[in-house]
Amino acid sequence: MKMFTQLIILGLALGSVYSLIAMGYSLIYKASGLMTFVQGDILTVGAFLGLTFYRFLKLPYIISVLLTMLVTFAIGFLLEKGVIRKLLNKNVMAIYIVLATIAVSYIFQNGAQAIWSSKVEYFPTVFSVDSISILGVGVQPESLLCVGASLVCMVVLHIFMTRTRIGTSMRAAAMDPMAAESCGINVSLNTGITWGISSGIAAIAGIFIGPMYGVYVTLGSKIGGKGFAGAVMGGYGNMYGAMVGGLILGLVETLVAGYISSDFKNMFAYIILIVFLFVKPTGIFNEQAIQDV
Amino acid sequence: MAPILELQDFHYYYGNIHTVKGINMTVNEGEMVTIIGANGAGKTTTLQSISGLKDGKGIRGKIIYDGKEIQGLSGHKVAARGLCQVLEGRHVFSKLTVEENLMTGAYLRKDAKNVKSDMQDIFRRFPRLEERRNQLAGTLSGGEQQMLAIGRALINRPKLMLLDEPSLGLAPVIVKEVFKAIREINKDGMTILFVEQNSKIALNTANRGYVMQVGEVAMEGYCKDLLVNEEVKKAYLGG
Repeated sequence: MKMFTQLIILGLALGSVYSLIAMGYSLIYKASGLMTFVQGDILTVGAFLGLTFYRFLKLPYIISVLLTMLVTFAIGFLLEKGVIRKLLNKNVMAIYIVLATIAVSYIFQNGAQAIWSSKVEYFPTVFSVDSISILGVGVQPESLLCVGASLVCMVVLHIFMTRTRIGTSMRAAAMDPMAAESCGINVSLNTGITWGISSGIAAIAGIFIGPMYGVYVTLGSKIGGKGFAGAVMGGYGNMYGAMVGGLILGLVETLVAGYISSDFKNMFAYIILIVFLFVKPTGIFNEQAIQDV
Repeated sequence: MAPILELQDFHYYYGNIHTVKGINMTVNEGEMVTIIGANGAGKTTTLQSISGLKDGKGIRGKIIYDGKEIQGLSGHKVAARGLCQVLEGRHVFSKLTVEENLMTGAYLRKDAKNVKSDMQDIFRRFPRLEERRNQLAGTLSGGEQQMLAIGRALINRPKLMLLDEPSLGLAPVIVKEVFKAIREINKDGMTILFVEQNSKIALNTANRGYVMQVGEVAMEGYCKDLLVNEEVKKAYLGG
């Protein structure tokens, strides 16, 4: 029972990180109709930036988190304006834009290696205690922070998207860009903001996961793949589906690693993805990503 | 009456394909003007070029609105100047509620208080929208969606409203109802330019009309004259 509780908490922590990444994929898909493969490497960049602000520059944790979000928001925004929008304006086929995002992802990965290091850097702990007890199980407080902060992110994003003027306009622009433009919404600016927000969320995920896994160059590409799988399982393009899909994936992976073998955890995660694609390609939240775009 | 909109030698090119071939058009303040013509005559291209929804690179010639050239301006900037288009096929935001759709239409408005009372005006005009205010727009009937699309443009308080095929896909009874509403909106002072394939109802609704044929204006004049013109009768009014 103790082991089960521990695995659940670990699974939720990992899953919430996947959820954050998955939400970014879904937001971008909704806004641009595109898949991007940069999300994972933004996570890496975010983790390294967080490391720089928090460990090297000794800034307070919360300031480090906010600064990282700000910088990565700008990266995402500029990526959309400087690369994606430019290609869209040339009327190139979507697949080439997706390929461009893969190229960008390697540039980020390599850039991170050049700027920081190719070693696994340790991310200093946030709290002074090593472990707190929940239901009789010792848990790393950072993993609770990860779950809690991810939940906060999701709730804030939900409120932003449904209750604010700009959030509603972003949803409108994603649903029907031409109609949104005719209502006076600057759709191109909106899309840039969406990419910025998606990057910002990915970067936070990097900071949260840092203390648990360490920070290294390929951290993001591993988590990015899982986040992508989570987004598909939830219903690609659905923000809430992404949250649920990511959590499920994190739990399954952790339980498999705990009860079967950690050798199988990645395999299992992707087998579930394939099963989902066969059985319910529209995902848990029934997003029609496949037929009617 | 002063012209609010003028097209001067307006052309449109899709790459090398010349779709609109130098047309001149005027809409005066307070008027209701229609563009009729067959499929592919260039009506929608013309309308969408005016409202900034077409790629500006394809435009040649001048589009003058409210005294200023606006050709090539992007759609949201044109909307900000008070020129709003109701799109062909309605294009309501299907997963937003009726009220959210209207609020999105009021995106540019800074005066929240007046927006509320304008929304009430729109509900008075289209009572069925009020009944369905919390319903997702995608669940409305075609006629209700058309009313919502019109309401969404109205709430931005435009100076000129463009409508693209308001009758498209609607049952005849509903078409009548929609055109009755359009007439009333014009009577209340709104300048309107609309494109319509149903030439009969178009010419019976508007003050003046342009007949487009393969990218050119073949005929223009007062609707009452066009209605009795032999050529128009033969080609567009079923003899």
